[in-house]
Amino acid sequence: MIHVFTLALCLAGFGLLLMAMGRHQQDWLRRKLPAATTRKMRRGGFALLALAFFACGSGLGWAYGTLAWCGWLTVSALAAVTANTNRERIQRLKAKP
Amino acid sequence: MKSTFRQSMAWLHTWTGLLPGWVLFVIFLFGTSAYYQQEISRWMRPEIATGAVTPRALDAADAVLRERGAGAGSWTLSLPDGRGGDAFTVSWAKPGDRRGDGAEVLLDSRTGAQVEPRDTRGGFFLYRMHFDLHYMPVMWARYLVSIAALAMLVAIVSGVVTHKKIFADFFMLRFGKGQRSWLDAHNVTAVLALPFLTMITYTGLVTLLFTLMPWAISASFPSQEAYYAAAFPTGPEASVTGDPAPMMPLKDLFARAAEARPGFRASFVTVNNPGDAGATLAIYPQVDAFGGPRGPVNISPVTGQLLAVPPIPGAATLTQSTMIDLHAGRFSGWELRALYFMSGVFGTVMVATGLVLWTVKRRARLPDPARPHFGFWLAERLNVGVIAGTPAGIAAYFLANRLLPLQLEHRADWEINWLFIVWGGLLAWGMARPARRAWIEGLASCAVLFALVPVVNALTTSRGLIASLVNGDTLFVVFDLTMLALAAVFAFASWRVLTRRAQPAPRRKSRESSEAFA
Repeated sequence: MIHVFTLALCLAGFGLLLMAMGRHQQDWLRRKLPAATTRKMRRGGFALLALAFFACGSGLGWAYGTLAWCGWLTVSALAAVTANTNRERIQRLKAKP
Repeated sequence: MKSTFRQSMAWLHTWTGLLPGWVLFVIFLFGTSAYYQQEISRWMRPEIATGAVTPRALDAADAVLRERGAGAGSWTLSLPDGRGGDAFTVSWAKPGDRRGDGAEVLLDSRTGAQVEPRDTRGGFFLYRMHFDLHYMPVMWARYLVSIAALAMLVAIVSGVVTHKKIFADFFMLRFGKGQRSWLDAHNVTAVLALPFLTMITYTGLVTLLFTLMPWAISASFPSQEAYYAAAFPTGPEASVTGDPAPMMPLKDLFARAAEARPGFRASFVTVNNPGDAGATLAIYPQVDAFGGPRGPVNISPVTGQLLAVPPIPGAATLTQSTMIDLHAGRFSGWELRALYFMSGVFGTVMVATGLVLWTVKRRARLPDPARPHFGFWLAERLNVGVIAGTPAGIAAYFLANRLLPLQLEHRADWEINWLFIVWGGLLAWGMARPARRAWIEGLASCAVLFALVPVVNALTTSRGLIASLVNGDTLFVVFDLTMLALAAVFAFASWRVLTRRAQPAPRRKSRESSEAFA
């Protein structure tokens, strides 16, 4: 359960970090978000990753939890990269009624 | 020297990555599979039941040793852990014989009945291959692996400097853009698994610590043996009194060990001079606890008296054993094991894409691409032979496990020979064919061989995919599905090379090409 929770937090974290980058805002939203919003998203993204670390460490023990957290970071970053690579496909899917 | 820091790092990254690159690919590929070595062994020894040793099996082992091992100089018991894959092995040797010279009986870890699994080294070979290689003296292999791992550590650090845009390009993976795509794939696999890659390389070097740094021992100890005796004491020596004395049941002796060390689970047991009043028994713990104890509990098998418990290791020894645990991940539950495996796949792909990138970058600059210079030709052909050949060899290893006759002499060796015959065959094939054809055919061979594994398994055992699904045999289902997935990946890769457009897409912006160091 801790694993699922950690993964969810990491996914949300990397999602925010992805959208906090100007070039990806341009790609996904066709516009750049205001600097203040971007900053909040970036801070929020890192905060979620940090929260995931504390959740994972307190749930699984700090040694074991740290390892698992690193692994879930990789998984969720890969998910963000995959989503970004398939952006056009995802947007086409969403455009259909 | 190169003019700027980043250029000199790029040069360093290129050569510390390329030269040991093929060895690193082999280390990563076999090392990654070794996270599932017990599971692979379970598949390769379908005759054996899975599970920790039961009291019933322990009694059976006790009976075998008392009956057939009477008068022996030593007894040994090797107990599989809960992940299975190995039989419960008991053996005995005459006085004066070395361990392994005597007779051996394999037992079912649950019932204690005698079993005769096929002769194979199973997943353990894949594990050993990742640092001992094969067909060469172990020490040579370890020096080679050590040098490759040192170069890897240099390549990781210099790579972070070289590919300075890895963080700006963190989420970028663009396909179908030639060199740019290879660079993206190399960067993404490296950065996403960077904590793992740094850890695994560093701790890998720590496992080979005294191969690389023998002076740490020779400065303070007369010999390596003296160091190991001091750092990892095996307990009091047995003495032969000549007075026969009956031994307590093994089951009770195990219970004594568990009293001395709560949570103790035995992995390996030696009894010296069984049947004599001066006999000693050493029980080693399972190694699947993170930073857990490694030394044995020593008990007198006659009186049941505790003779010695290993000392608490010092900080340096504890640090070393913790790092080795971190590397091998034996303590992992199934979730963390899957994460370890996935990170290992990232490392393998990172090395492979780095190697391919070296040739892709230089092919465009060749004066005559049809007749490249020798260095380029060799690198390109080694890429095909290693990146496509090694996985094909592993598939052949699994196939040989099912296809070789069970009575074959040196059967386990022949399984391994088949791994290298297929790998060597593809290496030679890659040298003989035009590069592009070699890639297509090499990758397609991998796909065919991996796809054959579940087919041959279904034909030669009663535990094919459908039967396993019906019986709820998760391990066999997952193994067969993994083979099919690997076949699909290699088939897709082969198809992509086959249908690839001749020219890469034009570069979009100068920004992208300017940092295409590799």
